[in-house]
Amino acid sequence: MSKQLLFSLMFPILLILSIDVYADDQERARNSMVRQQIQARGIGHQATLDAMRNVPRHLYVPFPQRRNAYDDRPLPIGYGQTISQPYIVAFMTEIVDPKPDDKMLEIGTGSGYQAAVLAEIIEEVYTIEIIRPLGEQAKRILDVQYDNVYVKIADGYHGWAEHAPFDAIVVTAAAEYIPPPLVEQLKEGGRMIIPVGSPFQVQQLMLVEKGKDGEISTRSLMPVRFVPFERER
Amino acid sequence: MGLISGHKGNIRQIFSLGLHSAAIIAFQLALMQLISIVQWHHFAYMIISVAMLGFGASGTLLALARERLIRSSSWLVPILMTISGFFMIVSFEITRLDFFSFDVFLLFVDRSQFLILAANYLIYFVPFFSGALAIGILFIKHSRQIGTYYFSNLLGSGIGGLFFLLLFGNIMPQHVPAVIGLLSVVAGLISLVKRKALLHLAIVLLAVVSSFLLMRTQDRISVSQYKSLARALNLPDAEIMHRQPSIHGLIEVVSSPALRFAPALSLNFTGEVPVKKNVFVNADFFGVVPHFDVKADSHILDHTTQALPWIMQGRNKVLMLNAGEGAPLAHAFAYNPERVDVVIPNSSFVEMMQQEFAEESGNLFLHEELQIYAIEARNFLASKPPQGYDIIVLPQQGTFGGAAGINALRESYEMTLESFDLMWNHLDQDGVITITTWIDYPSRASLKILATLVQTAKNKGVADPSAHIAALRSWGNVTFVLKKSPLSPEEIKNIRGFASSKFFDPLLLPDLQKEERQQFNVVGDQSFFQYIDQIMTGDEEIFSDYGFVIRPATDDKPYFSQFLRLSQLRHLNEIFGGDQLPFLELGYLIVVITLVQSTLLALIFIILPLLRLRKSQKGKTGTLLYFGALGIGYMFVEIILIQRFVLYFGHPVFSIAAVISTMLIASGMGSLTSGKLPATAKTTAFFGLIVTLFLTGYLLLLTPVMQGTIASPVSLKILISLLLIGIPSFFKGMMFPLGIRYLSDYDVSQVPWAWGINGSVSVISTSLAMLIAVEAGFMVVMGIAVVCYSIAFLTFLFHNLFFRKPHVMTGLDL
Repeated sequence: MSKQLLFSLMFPILLILSIDVYADDQERARNSMVRQQIQARGIGHQATLDAMRNVPRHLYVPFPQRRNAYDDRPLPIGYGQTISQPYIVAFMTEIVDPKPDDKMLEIGTGSGYQAAVLAEIIEEVYTIEIIRPLGEQAKRILDVQYDNVYVKIADGYHGWAEHAPFDAIVVTAAAEYIPPPLVEQLKEGGRMIIPVGSPFQVQQLMLVEKGKDGEISTRSLMPVRFVPFERER
Repeated sequence: MGLISGHKGNIRQIFSLGLHSAAIIAFQLALMQLISIVQWHHFAYMIISVAMLGFGASGTLLALARERLIRSSSWLVPILMTISGFFMIVSFEITRLDFFSFDVFLLFVDRSQFLILAANYLIYFVPFFSGALAIGILFIKHSRQIGTYYFSNLLGSGIGGLFFLLLFGNIMPQHVPAVIGLLSVVAGLISLVKRKALLHLAIVLLAVVSSFLLMRTQDRISVSQYKSLARALNLPDAEIMHRQPSIHGLIEVVSSPALRFAPALSLNFTGEVPVKKNVFVNADFFGVVPHFDVKADSHILDHTTQALPWIMQGRNKVLMLNAGEGAPLAHAFAYNPERVDVVIPNSSFVEMMQQEFAEESGNLFLHEELQIYAIEARNFLASKPPQGYDIIVLPQQGTFGGAAGINALRESYEMTLESFDLMWNHLDQDGVITITTWIDYPSRASLKILATLVQTAKNKGVADPSAHIAALRSWGNVTFVLKKSPLSPEEIKNIRGFASSKFFDPLLLPDLQKEERQQFNVVGDQSFFQYIDQIMTGDEEIFSDYGFVIRPATDDKPYFSQFLRLSQLRHLNEIFGGDQLPFLELGYLIVVITLVQSTLLALIFIILPLLRLRKSQKGKTGTLLYFGALGIGYMFVEIILIQRFVLYFGHPVFSIAAVISTMLIASGMGSLTSGKLPATAKTTAFFGLIVTLFLTGYLLLLTPVMQGTIASPVSLKILISLLLIGIPSFFKGMMFPLGIRYLSDYDVSQVPWAWGINGSVSVISTSLAMLIAVEAGFMVVMGIAVVCYSIAFLTFLFHNLFFRKPHVMTGLDL
């Protein structure tokens, strides 16, 4: 009898312990990710670093990919989409220079991870996903974690006029053109960031800035700088 | 006594061999197309190269178990043919099951994909292995009549290629294997014997039922989630409006209210971006269904850098080359030209636009000022006298976000220096050539384009190319213009005005100031301008120093989109990391991987039989050299001829079919003729010499002859082609059967090994030829083919050295 009691008590204890250990492991992995992949590459924006430490990235990747969640690479999330490499997410977040009272728009919710990182820092995040299953999945996770993220399943071309203008717009689902409504919904002095590349490799990040007079300029940023040749020593 | 008479008892076998051979070739081609639809062309290559090693493996098995297989051949061969047919029918469908569904993009991010890839290899390996084993058994069993059997194999293969074309242009691609497999099943039935008849018929029944069920399915082929078709179908309310098979590939038209077209649109555009139906060929984006509105006062492309040549001055005579995207054509007509010639090789697309989508496109493709040429651009340029065009528009290069090097090994004859030379000749005095490219990083396409334009100008005697070249850069595109005469002050003023109104930056103008280059779009890596200036000033060092290939493409190396420099792989890996590097230049890497894996497997298949053959005292060097050389030489020549004749005829599909079929049928006739000749070392050496001399002639004369007659009437070109391809192929077709017959007398146990060597080496040859062509050019590939046949010739010239017989002790030795 005592043996049975012992075993029936042991199981939930072990379960709780394993969850605890798992959670600790994930936290360690997350901290290591911030240290080695983000800080080591020059990201110094404290709010971004704190957000990357807080957001449980593994919750935003499909279950088969969980063990890779904190790897230094993008991961597939289905429907031809990816969750960006952690460094790229941090890079983009730092570039848009989020402040606590900011309101930002994201086009292409995808996994929801970028929205979560922004939600850690700013007041309101509006995020649009055109692919319904992805949007619904992201919304489920984000609704549990945050009350300042608003997910809409729609064509991002039209932006989200009711809540415009936005301090910044992150266009993770980049297309061959930048929709005019998005430019319109960007505040003067605001920034738009667009990663350009194939599904698993970001070639460059395009920063679109709207000047005080409404003039638009772009700047391309290279997360990885190419040196053209290696001379023989 | 005729060539085939005396084999009446084997007529059924010979006929079924031909039918089965047709099925194998047709299946190989069908598989290439199907996998290209699901994944990409180079990946299809990778899978099929392993599958084709079934030929090598069959030779290995034959070498190790020859006697048993020959003893069972009467019932085994028909059953193998039927098994092969059954797996031809079902293998593609098996790989589409979730469990076996593979995605090449995931190969570098999910290691479990390697296992799935291995499973795909195995699934496709089975039909080729069983099919090749059937053929190999027949060859070995009837090695003394190899000429007839090889003739049937080659003739059947040639016809199989044509049969594939017939099918692929008329039925849905996923149904093609179900038809082709039945050929093999019938081939097996023709040779049905009583022994194991029940087993055989059971497999036949399974195959027929499978074929029937698959033919009835209307399911669409599911493609990689990373292909542009799949991404378009993820959009809300996306549906396929139109689908048609064609010899150019499967054409699908998708509509969705979220599909818009405005490449690198100006950031000061405030209008509505038009929704457009997208056209896909083999699940890759091809173009849009344009809409031509004669009343419209502007076109969306007026707000992109592509408008550059049009705002410089008026254009009346327009030529658009490989203008798959309908939008540039509609854009051209917005400027009311007097005449527009458009070259679109994909005639099925043209027909579709003239019929199903005529009204929607505003009858653009039926415009009275439009003349359509359904041939390759290069062929058009070479065959027409100078037309005095005001503008020649080339298709947009690259893809938004980069194509990951997927097009690296696509021959782009319209982008070679020789092509630009011809374009220049077609220009009016003030005419321009224009080309737009998506901006990539690291910079590759834009640098290569500029290098090509500068070199073209220099080749045409222009002392200062900078006076003839203008370029405009937006956030996403660069458009270049090369003008035959120097740019006028008015044109330069128009360019500046247009640029500032659209938030574009001049990249190249004769009097450009540095600060003008980044008024609106700042580049992250400023060295881009340094490279541009280096090329403009004619600094040749950049071509050897730069980490990517940006030297202009030529007809000998027409791979414009191939930028990867293998010697820089380590350096690139250090910068981008192993996980990211494949997505920079995936296409070329796939060919390298294909070559490595094929070579490793082929070596196993070649070496394994040696375990058995070590008992034989007879020399094996001759067998390895001769049949290995034939395997490489034949495939190298085939690849060269395909490349050359695609350029010659201007119809890729027709040209490939013509070359392969002519080669195989002519070789088949040669094989048949060889049966009448003694299979001695002298005879074999003689024909080896003949072929070597012909190929040497190719090396020296093929290009000049083809260049000189490219503008001739089609009937003359066909005759020239038949002579150029047919005569050497006839003699080449003799060499394999002569060698086999010689070997049958020399050491019959080596015959299966020879079959395996030839099969294995042929597979390696395809990717090897590609690699050599990219790195060194087609002429080097042809040179190696000459060397190979020289080796074959020399092997028999010095046969005592290479086919060494063991020393037999005689009384004189005591």
